Amino acid sequence: MRDFLCTNDDRFLGGIILARSPYVMKHSVIKRTVFVFRVAILLCLIILSVSVIAQEKKDSQIEISAKDKETIKIFQNHTKEYVKAREEVRKKLPKLSKESTPEQIKAHDAAFEDGVRKARAGAKPGDVFSRDIANYIRTLIKAEFKGKYRAELRETVLEADTKGVSLRVNYPYPETKELTQIPPTLLLKLPQLPKEVKYRFVGRHLLLVDTDNGLIVDYMLNALP
Amino acid sequence: MKRIVLILTIAVFAFSNFIDKAFSQKQSSNNSKQNSSVNSVTLTLPRKDSSVRFAVVGDTGTGTDKQQQVADIMVRYKEAFPYEFVLLLGDNLYGGEKSTDYLKKFENIYRGLLDNKVKFYATLGNHDEPHQRFYDHFNMNGKEYYNFKKGNVSFYSLNSNYMDKRQVKWLEDTLSTDTSEWKISFFHHPPYSSGRKHGSDTQLREIIEPIFLKYGVDVVFTGHEHFYERIKPQKGIYYFISGAGGKLRKGDVKDKSALTAMAYDQDMSFMLIEIVDNQMHYQVISRTGKTVDSGVIVSARKRSASVSR
Repeated sequence: MRDFLCTNDDRFLGGIILARSPYVMKHSVIKRTVFVFRVAILLCLIILSVSVIAQEKKDSQIEISAKDKETIKIFQNHTKEYVKAREEVRKKLPKLSKESTPEQIKAHDAAFEDGVRKARAGAKPGDVFSRDIANYIRTLIKAEFKGKYRAELRETVLEADTKGVSLRVNYPYPETKELTQIPPTLLLKLPQLPKEVKYRFVGRHLLLVDTDNGLIVDYMLNALP
Repeated sequence: MKRIVLILTIAVFAFSNFIDKAFSQKQSSNNSKQNSSVNSVTLTLPRKDSSVRFAVVGDTGTGTDKQQQVADIMVRYKEAFPYEFVLLLGDNLYGGEKSTDYLKKFENIYRGLLDNKVKFYATLGNHDEPHQRFYDHFNMNGKEYYNFKKGNVSFYSLNSNYMDKRQVKWLEDTLSTDTSEWKISFFHHPPYSSGRKHGSDTQLREIIEPIFLKYGVDVVFTGHEHFYERIKPQKGIYYFISGAGGKLRKGDVKDKSALTAMAYDQDMSFMLIEIVDNQMHYQVISRTGKTVDSGVIVSARKRSASVSR
């Protein structure tokens, strides 16, 4: 190292001397310090972002309490009871097939509607969508859909023209009215239904509708925040 | 003198023969021009033997004259390009769904195709009641979502109104065992769209795109937007919007959208598709018979095989 430093190459030696001068050393230390500082800030920002994202993910995997599980179970039992009742009616009707004509489909639907209405005479709002499950669903949607996701959800749900749809249990959803697409991201979070019944929105209100005869099984108001 | 007369006679005879031939050529040329103007069919499709051929049209169910005009062009093109079935992309019936509506908005409109044994495979749109799945001519076999196969092509009709866990599971289970050369899905709401009215259905995309990517779906046809759009390939999947079979939203495609490869929103339209081995040829035809887009796509499996070489 000394030999290296003691070389007779003046220019090189001059460069080494310059590099080792107090002014240059101080400048390079400052530069290095600034660089380290910037890297540290960047790392902090990355760590912060990751933790925020992790927190959001955590929020989205909201734990279902034992009480909520019980509420969901009761709700699902009520929907199964509805399906059982409507199957009793359907079994007595002539079967539809892939060769069914529109007239046959229409006649089948009318008879089906009538039969279920009679079997559920006296059904009223809240029989299936109890207060507990309605509150659970409102809380779920509010918690799971925040910020831009809530805006997207509202946009999808409110896009459909459902003005004039009367919310009446045991009466059909009008066939002339558009069906709201239920956003898949919401559908996958709501309690699962039997295939004979579907969720449907009318404005901000959530309905349960019979897939085959279009009857409104029940509804809850203001499901959408 | 005799020689002159003889030469003149031969000349007159030759000249009149020439005139006669020239005139008859012009006549046949005029006739053929008249024939092509009557037929007005320009095909960009190869028309190979044993190819899978079909038409695609969406948002049809209005029962209007314009829907009829599109149907008439579809019939005319069938004569030159015999296709065996049609994919209906939803909103098959607007408004009421009485038996008279089925006649007015579907059967009477497509009588020319139905009488020629062309099958329709429908999917449900946001204007379609679920009981359409029982209608014979829609070939849904009572199901809201279903699949079928033609040659080396598998088709998956989905209900994008209601993409629940049950349907997602069915789709994954069915696709996972599908070894077809081509996998095509069709449903109503577009995962990618440059439409001002609706735009991309990002919530649907979030659920189904990973499934499509995982199981190698090649092409997706959707409606809902009332125009035609060919989307630039998204992660290797080709998306087409063909929602102008009965309705049109003129000027609805956003200008300079990063998604658009080609779009046409000036008139109603439909698509013709021919799949030959690993190539899918497409032609998009307007209500007036004008070709507004055409091209060819290579299947994902062929593309990945080429890359791996």
